[in-house]
Amino acid sequence: MKLKFCLFILAICFVSIPLARAQDPQLVQAARKEGKVVWHTSLAIPSSTAISHYFQNKYKGIEVEVHRNGSQRVLQRFMQEATAGLKNADIVHTSDAGHFELLKDKGMLLKFTPQGVAAFPDGFKDKAGFYYGMRATLSVMAHNPKIVAEKDAPQTWKDLLNPKWSGKMVTAHPGYSGIIMTHVLTLVNVYGWDYFRDLAKNKLHIAQSANDPAGVVASGERPVGVNGAEYFYYKTLKQGNPIKIIYPKEGVPLVVSPVAIAKDAPHPNAAKLFTEFIFSKESQQLLADKEGLYTGHPEVTYPADKPKLKDLKLLAADADELEKRNAEIKKRFVEFFGA
Amino acid sequence: MPVSQTDTLGRLGQTGWAALRFKDPTFPVWIGAALLLVFLMLFPLGAIFRASLWGDTGLTFSRYLEVFTNEQSLTAIWNTLIISISVGVLAVIIGALLAWLVTRTDLPWKKSIRALVMASFVTPPFLGAFAWTLLAGPNAGALNKLYRAVTGSEEAIFNIFTMPGLIFVMTLYSFPFVFSMIANVCELISSDLEDAAEILGANKWRTAWTVTLPLALPALIGGFILAFLHSLSLFGAPAILGLPAGLHTITTQIWTLFQYPPRLDMAAAFSVPLLLATMVLIVAQKKILGRKGYSTVGGKGGQKRLIRLGWGRVPVLLFVLGILSLSVFLPYWILLKAALSKAWALPLTWDNFTLHNLSFTFFEYGDTQLAIYNTFKLGLITATVGTLLATLIAYITNRNLFRGARYLSFFALAPLVIPGIVLAVGLFIAYTRPPLVLYGTIWILFVAFLTKEMPIGFSQAESTFKSIHPELEDASRIIGANRLTTLKDITAPLARSGLIAAWSFIFIGVIRELSAAILLFAPQSKVVSVVIFDLKEEGQIGVIAVLGILLLLVSFAVIITVQRLAGRDVVATRE
Amino acid sequence: MAIVSIRGLTKKFTDAAAVDDLHLEIADGEFVSLLGPSGCGKTTTLRLIAGFLQPDAGEICVGGGVISSPSHLVPPERRNMSMIFQSYAVWPHMTVAQNVAYGLKFKKLTKQQIDAKVTKLLGVVHLSELKDRYSSELSGGQQQRVALARALVVEPQILLMDEPLSNLDANLREEMRFEIRRLHEEFAITTVYVTHDQAEAMATSDRIAVLDRGQIVQVGRPAEIFDHPKTRFVAEFVGKANILCGRLDGASRMRIAERLEIGVMPNPDLASTTGEAAICLRPHNIVLTAVQSEAETLARQDYNVFSGVVQRRIYFGESADYTIDLAPHPFTLRVVGSPSKLYDKGQRIFALARPEHCVVVSNH
Repeated sequence: MKLKFCLFILAICFVSIPLARAQDPQLVQAARKEGKVVWHTSLAIPSSTAISHYFQNKYKGIEVEVHRNGSQRVLQRFMQEATAGLKNADIVHTSDAGHFELLKDKGMLLKFTPQGVAAFPDGFKDKAGFYYGMRATLSVMAHNPKIVAEKDAPQTWKDLLNPKWSGKMVTAHPGYSGIIMTHVLTLVNVYGWDYFRDLAKNKLHIAQSANDPAGVVASGERPVGVNGAEYFYYKTLKQGNPIKIIYPKEGVPLVVSPVAIAKDAPHPNAAKLFTEFIFSKESQQLLADKEGLYTGHPEVTYPADKPKLKDLKLLAADADELEKRNAEIKKRFVEFFGA
Repeated sequence: MPVSQTDTLGRLGQTGWAALRFKDPTFPVWIGAALLLVFLMLFPLGAIFRASLWGDTGLTFSRYLEVFTNEQSLTAIWNTLIISISVGVLAVIIGALLAWLVTRTDLPWKKSIRALVMASFVTPPFLGAFAWTLLAGPNAGALNKLYRAVTGSEEAIFNIFTMPGLIFVMTLYSFPFVFSMIANVCELISSDLEDAAEILGANKWRTAWTVTLPLALPALIGGFILAFLHSLSLFGAPAILGLPAGLHTITTQIWTLFQYPPRLDMAAAFSVPLLLATMVLIVAQKKILGRKGYSTVGGKGGQKRLIRLGWGRVPVLLFVLGILSLSVFLPYWILLKAALSKAWALPLTWDNFTLHNLSFTFFEYGDTQLAIYNTFKLGLITATVGTLLATLIAYITNRNLFRGARYLSFFALAPLVIPGIVLAVGLFIAYTRPPLVLYGTIWILFVAFLTKEMPIGFSQAESTFKSIHPELEDASRIIGANRLTTLKDITAPLARSGLIAAWSFIFIGVIRELSAAILLFAPQSKVVSVVIFDLKEEGQIGVIAVLGILLLLVSFAVIITVQRLAGRDVVATRE
Repeated sequence: MAIVSIRGLTKKFTDAAAVDDLHLEIADGEFVSLLGPSGCGKTTTLRLIAGFLQPDAGEICVGGGVISSPSHLVPPERRNMSMIFQSYAVWPHMTVAQNVAYGLKFKKLTKQQIDAKVTKLLGVVHLSELKDRYSSELSGGQQQRVALARALVVEPQILLMDEPLSNLDANLREEMRFEIRRLHEEFAITTVYVTHDQAEAMATSDRIAVLDRGQIVQVGRPAEIFDHPKTRFVAEFVGKANILCGRLDGASRMRIAERLEIGVMPNPDLASTTGEAAICLRPHNIVLTAVQSEAETLARQDYNVFSGVVQRRIYFGESADYTIDLAPHPFTLRVVGSPSKLYDKGQRIFALARPEHCVVVSNH
């Protein structure tokens, strides 16, 4: 009996060790020597700040320098620095998969696979191993229930074309946000550019970030948001603001936000450690619990009041197509909306 | 007399280049300063011209063609023209009216009114624009809510996200320039001229219309040009108020061209017409106003009596305060409210009150501390180096130290002609590739700010030197001090208050600069104005308000300190 | 030996020559005035001597060494000179004592030595009680004395003064003239003094150089300039003068009108002893009498006689100023007469002058 029990304990230990996902102490030491990791990200400020604090608490002595901006701007800054020969950035993270195809083709990324990502769905993995999806969200519609009653609210993408919504809607901009870039591409593939031409007739208020519509809708400035990051709408709702999210039945764009390490990263070990960290179960669970995000991690659980991805009709965008049509999408959006 | 006098004098009097250096050993300093100035101005401009004209196959005008045929860019140009002309006209009307009331009538509370105009001047236009989005957004804006509560209407009375809204806000922060200029002129007009009109039977309004106005006309035109040029170069306000309505201006268009993949050549091609237009207007302005910068109208002054407003005193005062509340009171109030509220659109009840915005801004948000550090570091360095350089250049031009020295003032004032964003385009092109890669550091921002603020530093230094009698320096030189020692012992102490004023103008100009910083910053070299702009795109209202208030507080602190140190009202004498 | 030698000095501003081929020699310890109307180039000359301007032609030598020429220029701070300005140029941010002490900083003296010299000079100009005051608290005259002390304390080899008294009121000006002369006699520094005021030049100077349009027209002792002006310009500038034009008839006689010939003081500079000329006759050198016999007596003593009618009389208390109409001759004479014997308007009168007082001058 005792022997069986000991064997059982031993077996659990052996199994637990890989499950505990302990980090390689040599990596931690090397990372500590470097002292910091520079993270360029499009993740919303409260969320990215929280993640960095969590990492800093866990690995004392390694500072996370967060530079947050819209996806398109993150890429712009990264490319500008590279052109000028500056090697400052360690980790690049945006919500536009096309960026990563571009960077990979230019040889600007480091091939690195964090532990555990093999279990992630295909949409979260780069076959060549240069980038992986840190988080995912949806681009959804939302309205302010205090101003627009539920029964009157738009339910489908096409509902938004109704002239009764003229002057009452807000959109974010694909020239700034990766989430919105994906949103526009997927809807164009379904409805064509005429959809956006008609939508623009309703005189939308043009915001920039996919997180901005949440504030605009909650304040009542424009009671309907025609797109926007679902995680941010969700967080705003959870803070007690008047938001009602709509997940259109015709399909909801799914945006996977990849993360990668720069080939010329000045702090490569810290970068690897940080990457391991953000793909760890505890970190991914944190994203789900506190930040309203979806992840690729199979063991993460989600709040009960969030719809399960498998219950929604998802519209996905191909990374290559995102890269190729990036300029076209920006151009035509500006053409219809003016700016 | 020393025995070796002849020898000494003989050795002292060498000929040729040796003499050139020896006869005035301080010479290299002056030449160095002059060359630095010329380099600062010409390098970015050269880069712009080159980038816009030089293609893969050599000289080409294709970019210019694109600028003037592309529908989107033509719309942007058209918008810019309409906006700038409107702002120019409105700013002149308001600025001149206020200036006349303050200088020629017995309006009460003049000192406070001047201080409020100064506050409008010091407020960064992008911050004002931001505050007005909170006040007059068509649905959530505080003023509209008030209107709806009072009248029960469904509609909004103000929509700030329109072209009229943009013109309105830009006027609020352009009229202080016109006010200064016109106030200076009005002070010079002798009452004798108006008395003459009155004796002949004109009442005070007719006098103002037929006598005062024509005398001030050159200054009015000059003020229009100034306000026009100022609004031409603004970036923040059009980006905050125009873009959400789908309105592009030339400056926002140039900014867009920097997005990946960047079209620097197009940005340069866009910049050149803007540059030429401003050059033409500045030249026109100088010609209209004459060399002094404002027309001398019977400069002896004579007696100056104030026009009595009589029963009109209170209504006029309320009117003036009303205008100033639009540029100062309302925006500052809403910023304060937003800084202290959880939800800015809701009333500031105890429930809604929070200090979290403050703690988040200063202690949690990573960008803030770095940005504040960068901003003040740049402010201090630029103001100090800029004042030094401006002093040397103003000294050279004022005392005409070598042949052609007068032309240096052209270079010192040239940046007036270059809108901030155009300068940034030039600097970006010039300094993001070898041999001199300044991009990524704060030094590219330093160069941009130094260049941009040189005119104000120089003109302040110049007017300071003009007020110091050259014989005070001659007396020092003949008694044994060389030029530099004289500058240090005699001129600088006497110029102290004027130079302190120059320092403060440069400092305040730097900490609120946006249109150049927005193109040149890198993650490590962010400044507060850029952080505010970024946050606007994220909708982080509370944090923006906190940072905006910080900028205002620092600016006011600097002005008040300077007034104490300089011992005089630097505000009133600013040209 | 002359300490300052100016040869062929020329300075042009735009195309006009402010100083035109000027020559002047100044002896050691001499007080020379540059006198002339505004625009004559006197201040420009002074500033050339000081080194603030560089000549276009010619040179300035001090003690045999060239200090200014078109090809090189010793800067002002190395010339061992001092200068006093019309605007006083007292530095407002320093006290009186600090102003005076400033120049001594460059002489490598100890603090005690500097203090001693400053105290001494302040005593000399009678400003000792005011040594801690600032210029805004001083009157014009006091400021000028500060400037003097400051200039003298460094023991310059040459002292330059640019209309130092022009901004003072009349009484003070007179007092200061004597003060300047007194200081000159005490310190014996070579001085160049610029003024447009002829009385000032006369009161202070060893020699006067009269300038007109960039050139020196006459240099000489004050008496020489006054009594023997060489040109009409000098005659009229330095004191009041009656200028009568006419034809020379030999060296000592001139016909100034139909049937009026007078004896004159010859001018050796004049090219010929015949031809057009003018004479200068000072108003106070004319004797007046209404009595014919007195006039005849004086005429026998070689006096020139002019007969006419009193046209105007202005009584000044110390003197009486007459204008005598010499009709039928086409001119008038200004005469300064004694206040004790007054002649009335309309009275017939004789004006008499010795030939030595009728000085021939060149006519420009």
